[in-house]
Amino acid sequence: MSLDDLETELRPIFLAALAGDAAAYKVFLDAISARLRGYLRRLLARTGRSEPSEVEDVLQETLLALHLSRHTYEPSSPVTAWAHAIARYKLVDHLRRTGRHAGNLPLDDEVYQLAAPESGAADARLDLERAMQALPERTRRLVEQVKLQGASIAEAAGVEGMTETAAKVAIHRGLQAMAKFLSRRGRLP
Amino acid sequence: MKTDELISLMATSHQPVDTGRLRRATWLAAALALALTMAVVIGTIGVRPDLAGALTTMPVLAKIAFGAGVAITALVLFQQSLRPGLQPRRLLPLAAIPIILIAAFALVTLAQVPAEQWSSLTFGRYWRNCLVNVPLYALLPLLVLLLLARRGAPVDGRLTAASAGLASGGLAAIAYALHCPDDTIPFLATWYTLAVALVAGVSTLALPRFLRW
Repeated sequence: MSLDDLETELRPIFLAALAGDAAAYKVFLDAISARLRGYLRRLLARTGRSEPSEVEDVLQETLLALHLSRHTYEPSSPVTAWAHAIARYKLVDHLRRTGRHAGNLPLDDEVYQLAAPESGAADARLDLERAMQALPERTRRLVEQVKLQGASIAEAAGVEGMTETAAKVAIHRGLQAMAKFLSRRGRLP
Repeated sequence: MKTDELISLMATSHQPVDTGRLRRATWLAAALALALTMAVVIGTIGVRPDLAGALTTMPVLAKIAFGAGVAITALVLFQQSLRPGLQPRRLLPLAAIPIILIAAFALVTLAQVPAEQWSSLTFGRYWRNCLVNVPLYALLPLLVLLLLARRGAPVDGRLTAASAGLASGGLAAIAYALHCPDDTIPFLATWYTLAVALVAGVSTLALPRFLRW
């Protein structure tokens, strides 16, 4: 699927997601993560790294950044350009943090245009797990229930004795804390 | 955690998103920062004694128009630089328009008077104060814009820093116009421009490290 086709397909889905459609949001995230996995894998390969787990790490960090930056999307602009710009930024940040030169990342459009979607997820390293360990106890239990046991927010909130909205807010804060943890990791204090 | 798990976690806790908030917040923050900076100017060095009469004269209006022109173009850039994928660098030349206009205006003014007056028209009486005060007062709007930038997603930290510096310089120029007793266009075109450029330069060097996210 060309980038233009992907844009045509994803833009209305993402606009529906922004309006509050969680199912549309999931469809968007599934499609964009496959695309970004291919994009990041190609860029990482150019810097001489080909560990699938590293691709998955940067992808997860990118997805967290996308999620927490949804409000920065300009509705009149291409959503794929927005997502790729964030992925590229997070990749450069990752390379800088892990001590490699990011200066010679190709700016050319070739990778951007041609990267194919890749749906086969590799196992990430343990970064996100470690980020989760840093969460407050209650938030972590919420996250575990929704993530591992596939509980709905309403069920998980019920177990913790919270309202559904409060549980959503807690998970949102948890995701924020995890993103912060990831972007600080390996950086000098 | 698997990527699929992360995705369902994000999708289940998803809520409607307001994409206009960042734009509104930028204008609101700039207006607040301007009001605060004006209050600080009034509370520290005070307004010029003849402000009531001078406010509607051409030189004071020109200072305000210059500051507003710089600030508005820079704020448009700044706001866009917080949104990934827009490539607002293309708009960077827009920021030069107020500076080119005021420089042309100054040259026309100088062309109409004998060369012996050029120096006094350009240097005025208090050019050093302008060069020190405008950058100092710009620190307040700069801090406000920095805090705002951290709520966006700046993928080009230098552009965000440069446009925040330009905007802060422009806002500080408006506030300083309440005090500035030098009323010539060549003065404005020289020292206000230099002061704004100074803020933009320092901001471009110092701010990017605080903009990482």
